[in-house]
Amino acid sequence: MSDVTKEKAGGVKLLEVSHVTRRFGGLTAVNDVSFSVNRGDIIGLIGPNGAGKTTLFNLLVGLTKPNQGQVVLDGVSIGGSKPSRIATAGMTKTFQNVALFAEMTVLDNVLVGGLLRHSVEDARALAEKNLARVGLAAIAGKKAGDLSFPERARVEMARALCTGPKLLLLDEVMAALNETEMDALLELIRSLRDNEGLTFIVVEHHMRAIMNLCNRIIVLCFGQKIAEGTPADIASDPAVIDAYLGSSIDTEVSA
Amino acid sequence: MQLLQALIDGLLIGGVYAVISIGLTLVFGVVGIINFAQSQFLMVGMFIAFFAWKFLGLDPLFGAVLAFAGVFVLGALIQKYLISRVLKAPEVSQIFLTVGLLIVLENLALIVFGSEFRSVQTAYQTSAWRLGGLMFNVPYVAAFAVSAVTGLLIWWVLKKTWWGWAVRATSQDVMAAQLVGISPARVHQMAFGLGVGLTALGGSIILPYLTVSPTIGDQFGVLMFTVVVLGGLGNILGAVVGGLAVGMIQSISSLVMPIQLQNLALFLIFILVLAVRPEGLLKKAS
Amino acid sequence: MTTKNFPGYFRWLLLLLVLAIFPWFLKDQGYAIRVLILVMLFAAMAQSWNIVGGLANQISLGHAAFFGIGTYTSTILLIRFGISPWLGMLAAMLVAALAGAILSIPTMRLRGHYFALATLAFGEVMRAIANTWTSLTGGPVGISVPFSQPSLSLMQFKSSLPYYYIMLGALVITTVIFILISRSKLGYRLRAVKANPEAAEVIGVNTVRTKVMAAVISAALMGACGTLYAQFNFFFDPDTAFSLTGVSIRVALICIIGGIGTAAGPIIGAFFIIPVEELFNDLLSGQAAGVSQLGYGLILIAIILIEPHGISALLERGKKMWKGKRYV
Repeated sequence: MSDVTKEKAGGVKLLEVSHVTRRFGGLTAVNDVSFSVNRGDIIGLIGPNGAGKTTLFNLLVGLTKPNQGQVVLDGVSIGGSKPSRIATAGMTKTFQNVALFAEMTVLDNVLVGGLLRHSVEDARALAEKNLARVGLAAIAGKKAGDLSFPERARVEMARALCTGPKLLLLDEVMAALNETEMDALLELIRSLRDNEGLTFIVVEHHMRAIMNLCNRIIVLCFGQKIAEGTPADIASDPAVIDAYLGSSIDTEVSA
Repeated sequence: MQLLQALIDGLLIGGVYAVISIGLTLVFGVVGIINFAQSQFLMVGMFIAFFAWKFLGLDPLFGAVLAFAGVFVLGALIQKYLISRVLKAPEVSQIFLTVGLLIVLENLALIVFGSEFRSVQTAYQTSAWRLGGLMFNVPYVAAFAVSAVTGLLIWWVLKKTWWGWAVRATSQDVMAAQLVGISPARVHQMAFGLGVGLTALGGSIILPYLTVSPTIGDQFGVLMFTVVVLGGLGNILGAVVGGLAVGMIQSISSLVMPIQLQNLALFLIFILVLAVRPEGLLKKAS
Repeated sequence: MTTKNFPGYFRWLLLLLVLAIFPWFLKDQGYAIRVLILVMLFAAMAQSWNIVGGLANQISLGHAAFFGIGTYTSTILLIRFGISPWLGMLAAMLVAALAGAILSIPTMRLRGHYFALATLAFGEVMRAIANTWTSLTGGPVGISVPFSQPSLSLMQFKSSLPYYYIMLGALVITTVIFILISRSKLGYRLRAVKANPEAAEVIGVNTVRTKVMAAVISAALMGACGTLYAQFNFFFDPDTAFSLTGVSIRVALICIIGGIGTAAGPIIGAFFIIPVEELFNDLLSGQAAGVSQLGYGLILIAIILIEPHGISALLERGKKMWKGKRYV
């Protein structure tokens, strides 16, 4: 990490999650999870499938309300708020199962993200810029429903970027990318953090990506936080190895 | 005492509402569409029973069987040739197909039968039994009895027969049903036929105390939807409970409000339930 | 939606020109121009419906509620307070818009069939109110709009031409509004909400506000059309103004058959349906009411079975087939 980022990462608390719990009938998907995120952090969120990562994301962006606990973004309590309000406050996410507007073009999809803070024309320009950044300028005119899976995830990211977030939650955007594409995306995330002060929480199964990208990692298992620390800490944490890395699903193997 | 009388009348009529509405909810639960033309089949059933009475001298309670059979076949054909074609189409098309059906049936009847009101004359039409100061209107009781029997028959068919099981399987998981050899198309035809047939049956058993005309369906349309929404779309037990409830609500409100406002109250309940709890007031899914 | 479309604008202008000139060739106060006036009016109504039905893809079967509110509001204001129908129309739009906002609340989370059902019930509620609140609406006998002399301020004329141009104006205005909305933030948001309401929310689209806005605009325009109808027809009653088949279903149908979601759809649909209905009415008197309705019920079913996306799509299909043949 550069000195600039070390400075940034050291400082301002952007997100504070306190004792958040979400139950669905008999199942506790997220159990008393607490952590905080500083401006400029790139937090990795890992854990086996079903650990509650996507539910946690849903809680943060307001798609579901916590049964208990608080979420505070930049000093403003947003737990239980509507997703559009949270997006206005500066936090949004991409969908793991990719939720594009199928009948609209790629450009229009991304454009909608920009409408939060811009006019239609400005949003269009912003959309073109962000599409180019994720390397997909060429497919701007294609119908979103016709895209391949790795393309769709990146379009979603471009769309999310257009909302001008302070904190961006990325849910497995690197699945099915090849080495080059993944490196490009990692580079993009880093430059967004370095040049625009964006903060990220990233869910990924690609261990190499997580270890290289994140300055801190949180490990979830069965809805509970079982570890938090630097990549080095996590890699050597026995509890984590036991629960997850030991029987890891994929590491360096690309799709 | 007046209240009790109203409750009883409401209950008796409610039984009929229940039978009429079971058909609508069954169609939604199995085929997956809201049949906006459902009330027209009530009208068709009524006409069948009327003419059965006029030309065959058949009491409407027995004519009901004829009505059921005839409309069942009609329904199965409609499902096979019309509805099945839009099950994969946008909802707009589904909605307007049955709306189109509504228009066609009502106007066909208008053309063929003319708009005058007709009624049957049966021996028991105006008689009532007295029991401890309460009046039990015979046509109402007869209708309720038939409704109850029909309801039990439906319950038995759905819970105890292979076919009923096939219907329930299809409404829950079409692919799984196919894997065990059930033909969804067949089931849809049977279900739709059964659904509209029941409504037609309901139409005939109320013939003794109502007049039949091509526009009678309009009176019952929103009522049926109210019942079904109260009980939960697709929930048969809900339709029964909803029917009885609506019957009683209507009856009691007739004590305090003029008829137009009664309908108003019903509509408002309907919209409220749709807004607050579209699954219906009952929790259980059927 | 293409932005730079010079040929497109040209086509619209040409159409406008034709529509503006055409009635001069028709006999004044005659049958043909009356049909044309109704075509214009219903096209405008269908275009209003298009905002909710086409952009938001919410099939409303209760738009008669707003239409009826329009007829009654302006007419009551005219009769009781002598207020010009032009102002009355603004009032009608306001009241209808309010009704639209109110209806949005219980229907917010409903989609598809459920939404259709709820709106249908709403329309019927309005009809019941109009029939019972006799002191305000005159009840089932309806209201006659008093005619004294041709007057622009009172929006009443002997000749048919002024009415025609008013209706044409209404069509132009509603179409322009539709196109503007389509290209605006609201349009994009509506399409996003239609496609995936969850995703739309997450990227900052306030789905509630978006839907309410569409409903309010659509309702207001519909209310205005109600006023225009009252002024043209000089008479209406609850069963006509709030008619399920005569208004709600008809405007939805016109829009759908012409091509839901397209700016041209309502116009194509109206030109197709209204004259056909009148033709049926004409050919068969006596049981005419039943037959014309029967006819369009059958045609509706036929069209749905052939092409679920309406005549526009049918034309597209035809175009593709024709293009294909050229290269074979």
